[in-house]
Amino acid sequence: MDRDLLRQSLTYHGHSLFSLLKCEQFENPDFKLIVANLTKTLHPRKEKSYENASVEQFIARKADLLFAPIWTSSSAANNYINEETEDLYAIMPPVEQFMDVPFDERRDLFYRDIERGDVVIGRVNSIRDFGLFITLVCLGGGLPRNIEDLEITALCPVRDVPSHGNHDNPLSYYQVGDLIRAGVKDMDRYHGKLTVSLYSSSLSPQLSNLKLGIISSDEMPVHYRHSVSTACSSHTFDSVLQHTLGFANPATVEFLLGKLEIGETEPPSLMRGLQSKNFLEADYGTSIRKRQSASWALKCVKIGVDHFKSGCHVEAMNEYNKALEIDDNNVEALVARGALYATKGSLTKAIDDFELALESCPTHRNARKYLCQTLVERGGQLEEEEKLVTAEHLYRKALTLDDTFQEADEALKKLQQHIQVRPWSIQHSYHSIEKGQFFSCKNIEKIVCTKGF
Amino acid sequence: MEVAGAAGGSDVTTPRPSEGDIKTHFKVCRFIIEAGVKLGMNSVPIATACTVYHRFYQSASLQVYEPHLVAMSAIYLAGKVEEQHLRTRDIINVCHRYLNPQSEPLELDSRFWDLRDSVVQCELLILRVLNFQVSFQHPHKYLLHYLVSLQNLLNRHAWRRTPIAKTAWALLRDSYHGSLCLRHPPQHIAVAVLYLAVESYGVEVPGDSGAGKLWWQVFSDDLTKPIIDSIISELLQLYDLEAKCI
Repeated sequence: MDRDLLRQSLTYHGHSLFSLLKCEQFENPDFKLIVANLTKTLHPRKEKSYENASVEQFIARKADLLFAPIWTSSSAANNYINEETEDLYAIMPPVEQFMDVPFDERRDLFYRDIERGDVVIGRVNSIRDFGLFITLVCLGGGLPRNIEDLEITALCPVRDVPSHGNHDNPLSYYQVGDLIRAGVKDMDRYHGKLTVSLYSSSLSPQLSNLKLGIISSDEMPVHYRHSVSTACSSHTFDSVLQHTLGFANPATVEFLLGKLEIGETEPPSLMRGLQSKNFLEADYGTSIRKRQSASWALKCVKIGVDHFKSGCHVEAMNEYNKALEIDDNNVEALVARGALYATKGSLTKAIDDFELALESCPTHRNARKYLCQTLVERGGQLEEEEKLVTAEHLYRKALTLDDTFQEADEALKKLQQHIQVRPWSIQHSYHSIEKGQFFSCKNIEKIVCTKGF
Repeated sequence: MEVAGAAGGSDVTTPRPSEGDIKTHFKVCRFIIEAGVKLGMNSVPIATACTVYHRFYQSASLQVYEPHLVAMSAIYLAGKVEEQHLRTRDIINVCHRYLNPQSEPLELDSRFWDLRDSVVQCELLILRVLNFQVSFQHPHKYLLHYLVSLQNLLNRHAWRRTPIAKTAWALLRDSYHGSLCLRHPPQHIAVAVLYLAVESYGVEVPGDSGAGKLWWQVFSDDLTKPIIDSIISELLQLYDLEAKCI
């Protein structure tokens, strides 16, 4: 259980929650580990304005789920609002604006939450020889806050201003009133002082591709432009939301779920019976369908085998193909079809089917047996066509599959003796294969003889 | 054809369901949600299926229409409406296994096809009972936008270590065990769920000092604290109901 989270909740709710927790979670080993520590360090912050017993009861009962460590977000929160995502959801003006949060509070919140590496946008209000002063207009890069009227100033020292071309003094490039985008380099929260820089090295990694320096008003962040347009009118948050184009985008739910890191597979729930990690794999739709298809395919294969035995090869082939349509790569169907191909003489097709079957089920006895037999038979065919090397390859393959296979062994030995007789040509054909060409042995012999080796 | 969740006085005409009925509806909604997860359905189609189910039984009787069949047809219909098409074969497979655990997959025989026909015909029946109005405004989109706005209001570290988003989403999904979706507008449900999540973790949201509006008032201006409390209390009752039903 996340102790800090639990402490936060207990501090807010007070001792009434703590006693309920002890009552509901007393059997929970994770809770027992931290309860001693919590008892010592718990200081409820203030008198609660009201008590809500049923909510506290709920928190206590579900504490093992609410405060489980796996629920907290592990990856670094990337809250950067990419301008390209503008229409994927409704980018709203800062809530502060609608809440009418008072001046001081907004100022305090700003200083509490600003960090090194953030992006700020402001207007130049004076240029001194030691640097620029800018008055902040808004924050860029994903932290929408209403700060324009707070009149917060920041200093950009001259050493943090890159020089532009042939201006001797980099500051002379800038004028009062220019809109600048800068990165926060340093801050003094207590005294309310901010130092910014125009070098991208001051930015945090996920914001580092933002261009710093002078920007035009078109490049202002969406939330700022939006807040300006809604500031004059007295629209409510809801009406602004509904009228923003991005809100109507059907992909918005999917996009925001990704942004907020909520998954749709293994979805979260606080109901005991809906903890999806407890669901059996075999109960899922895809799994049942696979088993159902396999069993249906098997029926077709059985019918096909009956046809095969009574000599109706065409009907048998149809059944096997049907089975493979229902359940592709069905092992039994592939083996049966392979056997049919082999019987009819299409040895290469047979070999393909058997190999595919063995990929899914390497221990299938019949597949292995038939494959060996077919490989040897094919080897024999190739020998007659003088493709000795390929034949040898096939015999070896048969032997790797089943080293007790007599026929393969004998065939290989016979071939090797055959090859011994003509060492030159075979060596040459090996070399040619290495170079990517394949000559038949007879051709090699011709070349060898005519060149007078 | 958009229909908001609350239709004014829809509650007045239909009689309150009996306790036994409430339990049955809970169990069948559990069936829908669990089957939805096993079919790989997203949250919004599952919500549509539950809403269709609840709406159907506002005017139909449990004695006349078998709820599990209605549930299966609701799932099928919801998949079509929310563009996450499901095959009836998968729906029947998953539902059969839910009701008959550890059983073998059904044979694809005439009984299976008859079952499939029932699902399809029930779908047509549901459509007619609902006057073909099956496109709903769900709280999900609102909740997600509120979460983004709330995230911007809070300190980023506080946000990162507090799973408000996941908890709020979980609460919203769970709310479909009951018929909250029919009696409150989507914005209200979204805010109430978010409020409960924030409250559970004891998060201090700026603006609580009293000046200006509270954050949840901003999200939905016709919402009041009593409404939030009533929605939350209904939601908590659903969790209590789980212990009694399952």
